[in-house]
Amino acid sequence: MNARVKPRNILVDGLAQIGEAGLFLPTLLAAVPRSLRYFRETVRQIWFVGAMSLIIIMTSGLFVGMVLALQLYHVLAIFGGTASTGTVVALAVYRELGPVVTALLFAGRAGTSITAEIGLMRATDQLSAMEMMAVDPVAYVATPRFLAGVVAMPLLCCVFSAMAILGGHLVGVTWLGIDNGTFWSNMTSNVHVWKDVIDGVVWKSLAFGAVVSLISVHQGYTTPPTSEGVAYATTRTVVASSIAILALDFVLTAFMM
Amino acid sequence: MVPCAAVHVAMLADPPLVGYRCSPMSETLSRTDPMPADDALVRVRGLTTRLGDRVVFDGLDLEIPRGKVTAIMGPSGTGKTTLLKHITGQMQADAGEVLVDGRDVARLSREGLFTLRERIGYLFQNSALLTDFDVYENVAFPLRQHTRLPEELIRNIVLTKLQAVGLRGAARLMPSELSGGMARRVALARAIVFDPMLILYDEPFVGLDPIALNQVLKLISTLNQTLGITSVLVAHELAAIQRVADRVILIANGKVVASGDPQHIAQDGSPWTRQFFGGEADGPVPFHYPADDYAVDLGLKEPA
Ligand SMILES: Nc1ncnc2c1ncn2[C@@H]1O[C@H](COP(=O)(O)OP(=O)(O)O)[C@@H](O)[C@H]1O
Ligand SMILES: [Mg+2]
Repeated sequence: MNARVKPRNILVDGLAQIGEAGLFLPTLLAAVPRSLRYFRETVRQIWFVGAMSLIIIMTSGLFVGMVLALQLYHVLAIFGGTASTGTVVALAVYRELGPVVTALLFAGRAGTSITAEIGLMRATDQLSAMEMMAVDPVAYVATPRFLAGVVAMPLLCCVFSAMAILGGHLVGVTWLGIDNGTFWSNMTSNVHVWKDVIDGVVWKSLAFGAVVSLISVHQGYTTPPTSEGVAYATTRTVVASSIAILALDFVLTAFMM
Repeated sequence: MVPCAAVHVAMLADPPLVGYRCSPMSETLSRTDPMPADDALVRVRGLTTRLGDRVVFDGLDLEIPRGKVTAIMGPSGTGKTTLLKHITGQMQADAGEVLVDGRDVARLSREGLFTLRERIGYLFQNSALLTDFDVYENVAFPLRQHTRLPEELIRNIVLTKLQAVGLRGAARLMPSELSGGMARRVALARAIVFDPMLILYDEPFVGLDPIALNQVLKLISTLNQTLGITSVLVAHELAAIQRVADRVILIANGKVVASGDPQHIAQDGSPWTRQFFGGEADGPVPFHYPADDYAVDLGLKEPA
């Protein structure tokens, strides 16, 4: 294990960690066939990271939708277009805010917890103990958590988006008095399943899920086996994940336009 | 693979569970087999290891006899844990070889290494129980990973092993609810679940009260005497070692500096044993970490 020291510059360090995590990807992917034996462990992890992030993602989704509707209503009112408030909320959420905010929250909630858990397993020799019991810790610990993140992210993003639109409806229709029928019909005729929903909620989320769980698992797996090491590793997970999500979002959006 | 004990239980089970066979590997453990000509289970030759810029082993040679308890002693940081990692193939040496049961560990494939490890029990310095699982599941873990035994049989084996360490009643506790001594005994139950040919104990007495220490000591000697398991015991407690070990090997500065019978090694008269067992602060193991000239550091003298 490389003994990493305190980061000199958190940004430079974050970029370096993204690179190192990338080098860890082949190891993780190579263990996928072996980790199929631990399919139940993967399912358990999906349940675990999903359930762990669900409440925070639902709450955030609701408020993001509410504030979006509130802001947009007043901007659209300038052009007399308040009827399309729902459409604009939906587009912003499906294309950008859903995948990005879900991924950022996931990194803070589930990612840090994955890093700390694997890091503590390293520090207390549990990973070495698995090696000694002839169980491959990459296949048993790392890969199931990685796969769980990839699967959970699009699901969480769906929940986030649904809650955001509910929030938009609450503010737009219930509070500001947009007509209910106008809100929905305007949205359904202007939001496209493939171009908006699938591109954002599915493809972007899958990519973010892969990146965030890769970084979290890698940080945990290479944690220096001390309590200080675990503390730094969780911080690095958040910093490196956030940079990676936002940068990747720009690249993906550029390709999807 | 299926451990021999499991097969015995399988035969007693009702209805008889047939079709579980000892793997060829564990058959070498059976008492009826003729003893192999080589009476050293582990043979280390010319082992040289560098970690960072530190030479941990410098041409280390030693042998661990079959069926005996061998204690390995040495100052902290000499590489005792590293030696155990070489024996189990968790770490590669820069030169030299480690033979376990006649096989060169460094040349084994991943599968070969895993097969070997199923026959080696390893007691970690800090127990290393899996925190997600309770005591029962920790002991069952290797069985679930490597066998497809029916639940009833797994239960039999796990309870037998827990009974052997006196913790059958603690089966449903979580690792966080155990004392240090109990955790170590659970780890021991897990380490012997496949009836290994070799157990490596890394500092099993650290942090134990005298009662727990004696319990672990008794287990080490019972496992060795009743099952004939070869044991390697890394420890600092000479009094404890004298009660179980057949031989002591003292390692310092990357080499074996003394070895022999635990009752007499302290009196063999070499400067190493005098310092180590006499507990002298200074001697061949220096009190001072290497440093520049003291007077220069204090600014009393010009650097040379
Ligand atoms: N992964 C590693 N990288 C660099 N040095 C290490 C590593 N592991 C152990 N060491 C060093 O090797 C030496 C031997 O360590 P160890 O085998 O744990 O000693 P012991 O168990 O005898 O106290 C120590 O000086 C330790 O600092
Ligand atoms: Mg040690």
